[in-house]
Amino acid sequence: MQGMLNEQTSIYLQIAQLMENDILKGVYQEEEQVPSTNELARMFRINPATAAKGVNLLVDEDILYKKRGIGMFVATGAVERIRQKRKGAFYENFVKTLVSEAKSLAIGNQELLEMIQKAQQE
Amino acid sequence: MEKTLQAKALTKVYNKNKKALDGVDVVFRPGCIYGLIGRNGAGKTTLLSCLTAQANPTQGEITYGGEKVWENAAVLGEICFAREMSPILFMGPNTYKVKDYLRAARMYYPHWDEAYAKRLVEQFGLEPKKRINALSKGMLSMLTIVLAMASMAPITILDEPVAGLDVVAREQFYKLLLEDYENTQRTFIVSTHILEEAATIFEEVVLLDKGKILEQGNTEELVSQFHYVSGKKEDVEQAVEGMKVLSQETMGKTKGVVVRCGAEQLEILQQNTTVDISPMNLQKVFIALTTSNCKEA
Repeated sequence: MQGMLNEQTSIYLQIAQLMENDILKGVYQEEEQVPSTNELARMFRINPATAAKGVNLLVDEDILYKKRGIGMFVATGAVERIRQKRKGAFYENFVKTLVSEAKSLAIGNQELLEMIQKAQQE
Repeated sequence: MEKTLQAKALTKVYNKNKKALDGVDVVFRPGCIYGLIGRNGAGKTTLLSCLTAQANPTQGEITYGGEKVWENAAVLGEICFAREMSPILFMGPNTYKVKDYLRAARMYYPHWDEAYAKRLVEQFGLEPKKRINALSKGMLSMLTIVLAMASMAPITILDEPVAGLDVVAREQFYKLLLEDYENTQRTFIVSTHILEEAATIFEEVVLLDKGKILEQGNTEELVSQFHYVSGKKEDVEQAVEGMKVLSQETMGKTKGVVVRCGAEQLEILQQNTTVDISPMNLQKVFIALTTSNCKEA
């Protein structure tokens, strides 16, 4: 697990998100074990209950599942589910902000498209 | 083990008219890390002293697992109150040694873990033969922490444990606290006014101000009710109309206010695109609550 916690979102949401990032990047593959709630708590210096809340969020979304007495594992199909979920958020959080920022800077449509293409090539 | 520590209608009056605590009701359930938060003089230490029968309440009752705490030796062995040791005693400098304190604690606390105490003394670099009045402020805090941890008491109370520690030692302490909690699942009550780094440790917080409980509950749920709304003065005023505003500041034509609202009201607020809404942290919430409490009083 990498990354630092910020104060912009609830801690448990950030824990869920960091875990998702690692699954997307393949740090934790499907059917592989992920760190326990206590390990997360120690690493991020947060209350175990908060860490558990973040982990349970992913269990509810079928991204993680619990093997009794062993620990938490990445569910099969987790990567695809995270991608689908995040595509919606991508539009809301990134595209909309991008367009609104472009608007306030008076960047025209053509210019914006060119910028995106340029970024894609880099 | 599954016992709650409870204070009912607790009032403590010093010198006839100074109310240190004023009708405090609070419950500490087993297996939870509590943060007791308040400004200097809010009544934190008085509350902790009453909870552990080191001070006699003027009114009200304190029970642990249904039994009265006052002059109840069996119950008091289950509760450890580690307060910072004083380098000066009433009869002069505190010339007791570190090991004297450790020995006394070993006799007093029925769950005392000697091996754990030894390990921590070593880890923190405490010298057993050193006299208390020769310890630095940081070392005094360390010794207090060692006593609290090794007591293994089902209810372990630490009063301002990190006040004398530098950042590295504070980090060590929080790590130790979490590791211990992972193993023992005991209840910790930690009083502090240093919030930045402690907020994520506490599952529940109790906010104390001027001897009264301002708020108590799940840290995350409490903090998520508060939002900072900023933007053009008129826009902000319009957006937060009818909401509970805790504090506000104006700068030129812009204004920022702290509001408290539930999820539904927040959704309505978020639809208003003229203002910027940002979340808050425990420290900011605490400041907003205590300053607004000042004005009302």
